[in-house]
Amino acid sequence: MTVAFLAFSLGAQAQDRYVSSKTHIKFFSTTPVEDIEANNYATVSTIDPGTGVVVFSVPIQSFEFEKAMMQEHFNNEHFLESSVYPKSKFKATILNLDEIDFTNNGEYRAEIEGEMTIKDHTNSLKESGSITVKDQTLTVTATFDLVLADYGITFNDSEMVAKKIAKSVEITVTAVYDKQ
Amino acid sequence: MWFFRLSYQTYKNTEMKKRKVIRIIAIIGIAGLLTGGGIGLYMFYKPHRDVQSAKADYILTSSQIVAEYLADNQAANQKYLAADGDSKILEISGEVKEISENFNGQKVVLLTGGNNMAGVNAIFNAETNDNLDGITIGQAIKVKGVIRSGASYDEDLEMYENVILEKSDIVNE
Repeated sequence: MTVAFLAFSLGAQAQDRYVSSKTHIKFFSTTPVEDIEANNYATVSTIDPGTGVVVFSVPIQSFEFEKAMMQEHFNNEHFLESSVYPKSKFKATILNLDEIDFTNNGEYRAEIEGEMTIKDHTNSLKESGSITVKDQTLTVTATFDLVLADYGITFNDSEMVAKKIAKSVEITVTAVYDKQ
Repeated sequence: MWFFRLSYQTYKNTEMKKRKVIRIIAIIGIAGLLTGGGIGLYMFYKPHRDVQSAKADYILTSSQIVAEYLADNQAANQKYLAADGDSKILEISGEVKEISENFNGQKVVLLTGGNNMAGVNAIFNAETNDNLDGITIGQAIKVKGVIRSGASYDEDLEMYENVILEKSDIVNE
């Protein structure tokens, strides 16, 4: 009876989490030759305040570039191979979960550590971001750099594209979560 | 003397021929450069594909595409997603379950087939947003857009992800 009750309450707790489909992921690369920006508004994310687990699932073909040619390059087999790996994923845990009060309005600094999977490469990533609690919603913002070579995206220095795309790109994340 | 004249004439002829050939090569070369440069510039500034004026590759219901993806994700990706990101253009009919707005001010319509685990999220844009005026929850509609990713159960999110359709608009029949 106690076990059943415990299992039930754990189950109920697992349901008590935040889901976001209102997101913005920005990709920004800068070199002396060119600045390249792409925006994605179709990412889905969840935060479990009980376990501190944060997940982002990013549909790669939803990155929109100003120039069609850049978007094609971004998707093709030399870059993100999006028809074979349509989604990238970030799964992490909030390290300082005890410092974030999801029931108390305010802005909190969150240290997160986890794994980023892009194409068939997975790397560990430790970053910080902010979580703003307002009533039943959360807003998460974070900015961090990704080294393309860590994910098997490399260019020969003689290629034109090597001059145009930075070896390290800046990713900016904004997401608004509702409690579910 | 006649011999000299003749050979001078031959010399003059070959010289003229040579010049002519050089001129032709130069013209071809310049034309080639201009065409190449033109193609290069065109490719660099090539506009995005106009999804709405293109013909749909597949006409399906929301339930059909979701079922196809849940049955075999890889096969569905191979069928619908293109390597250059210009993936298949779909016409999807379904029931409006939810209408929301994303961070880019674009309307997002969730279409389902009733009892589905997942549905199709059709993302409209600045040009097509207004065509959703008057559309209500529960209404059966048909939309057209480009597929960006399929439906699947994600173990980390612990939820089903919807098919994503972008650059969408209503199809009036």
